[in-house]
Amino acid sequence: MTDVERLFRTYNAALVRYLTRRLGDRDWAEEVAQETFVRALRQTSIQNERAWLFAVATNLVRDEARKDMRRRKHLALLAEEERDEMVEPEETTLERAQEAAMARKAVDGLAERDRLALLMREEGLDYNEIAEALELSPGSVGTTLSRARRRLVESYEALQKSQEEREKNAAS
Amino acid sequence: MQHPDEGTIHSWLDGALAADEAARVEAHVKECPECAATVAEARGFIAGASRILTALDNAPRGVIPAAAPKKRIDPWVLRVAATVLVVAAGTLLVVRNTGNKSVAGFSTSEEPDSAPIPKPLPPVSVQADPSRIKALGSSQTSAGSMKKGAAKVATSDTSTAAQTLAAAAAPGAVYSAETRAPATQAKIPARENKVAVGQASGAVAERISSDSGNADSAVLTSQSLTTLRLRGANSLDDASQQPLLKVVGTFRTTGATVTFYEVAPGDTVTLTELTSTYLESVVTTAVGMSSQPRQAAGKAPTVSGGRVDSVVAAPSPQSAAAGVARSATPSAPTPAPSVAIANGVTTISWADTATGKVFKLSGRMSETRLQQIKIRIDREKAAAAAKKSP
Repeated sequence: MTDVERLFRTYNAALVRYLTRRLGDRDWAEEVAQETFVRALRQTSIQNERAWLFAVATNLVRDEARKDMRRRKHLALLAEEERDEMVEPEETTLERAQEAAMARKAVDGLAERDRLALLMREEGLDYNEIAEALELSPGSVGTTLSRARRRLVESYEALQKSQEEREKNAAS
Repeated sequence: MQHPDEGTIHSWLDGALAADEAARVEAHVKECPECAATVAEARGFIAGASRILTALDNAPRGVIPAAAPKKRIDPWVLRVAATVLVVAAGTLLVVRNTGNKSVAGFSTSEEPDSAPIPKPLPPVSVQADPSRIKALGSSQTSAGSMKKGAAKVATSDTSTAAQTLAAAAAPGAVYSAETRAPATQAKIPARENKVAVGQASGAVAERISSDSGNADSAVLTSQSLTTLRLRGANSLDDASQQPLLKVVGTFRTTGATVTFYEVAPGDTVTLTELTSTYLESVVTTAVGMSSQPRQAAGKAPTVSGGRVDSVVAAPSPQSAAAGVARSATPSAPTPAPSVAIANGVTTISWADTATGKVFKLSGRMSETRLQQIKIRIDREKAAAAAKKSP
């Protein structure tokens, strides 16, 4: 097994999940992950594999995000149009869809660095790896994470509350 | 000790503190109710944040890689496969009978099919119900068209049909003595044999065996039949025991289901299944020659999409013409569905004419390879669908 194969097997799932959470688009996430491994191929040596992969993927997202902004907007429009026409898939209950939408909103509301640190932590990166990938000082990772978690939870709860109120109003 | 700040508490809970500092925090938290409350709150945030992020994976079966379930051979699949074998046998019969009459430009053969035709095939008995055989019967002649066209255009088009043959070969050989017997008696020109065997093993196991020349003898001897049988069995094993396509994950979004397949280590493709039909026009390449044969072939598990029909559909002259046209242009072997290449990612799109669903398959690889993968996905889906049906 080549080194990149090993890298892929070890990290692809986590990387794709990280990117999916970051981008909200599994397709896109998969593409970026693939590109990340392609870059790894060209690398002669990588010191901290996980930190390197997550850093490269993050940068790719940043670069691509600019390029793709317009394209994505167009796709979002198309998706919107389509949504009107289609029946919701069985597995996606309304509740789950709402949860996902609120989670997306809450995550998007975080500062980029907080969001990335949190998503990386969720994929098992340790503080040193997060620091390396995001070019932070290791000492500040705890602060970053505590802020990110608190804000995420609080803003999610706020969204939940306003959702419940809307439902209550709609019911009465 | 001073009260540790929130960041330090998170670091401690995350196990990121050095041993001595962790011990200090721990000792302090035990003594200090205020900090104990902060710790409790922090635990809540950690768990809560985790849970919220999980909601982002809102994919029914999750984003975590799931190995494709092991396939066992379903009796229904065997029945269909046996049925298809009948078609294959019928095809050979038809081909033999019409071979020298050269169907509409298909006989581009340099060597005449001089093999003797001893007697018609005895009736073939398989455990498929008659209606199905009847349905497939109409595509007998059609499959015959595959004969030389297929040899010329060794692409996904033909391999789908050939793959059906391969699927038929194994169970037929293993389970159905009756179906095998006539094939042994019939002296089949080597060309057909070669095409069938070579294509079949190529399609299913994704390798064209270099020794398909075994079949070069003018007559299909029992030895080469054994080869066919063995290959068929191997192919089936390959397909059933080592699923070549590993489903890395599926993700359902509004309007689409996305499936990730790992086709080789480090090599993934993405299959997007859209439920709208706006891409339908993409597949009109094959529309002219589809419709009625599809209904006939519809019973076979591996057939889907319009392009396949062009292989199966021989009776109409226009499809024969299409076959010729295709043979004549080796550089453009398939009437490909729409192909787009962006950032090194190739995407092919097609619509399943039966369901109207639009599919997109993309990956960092050549279009040809994607087409091959498409066929494998079709096959696995068909097998899965067959399994679901009673």
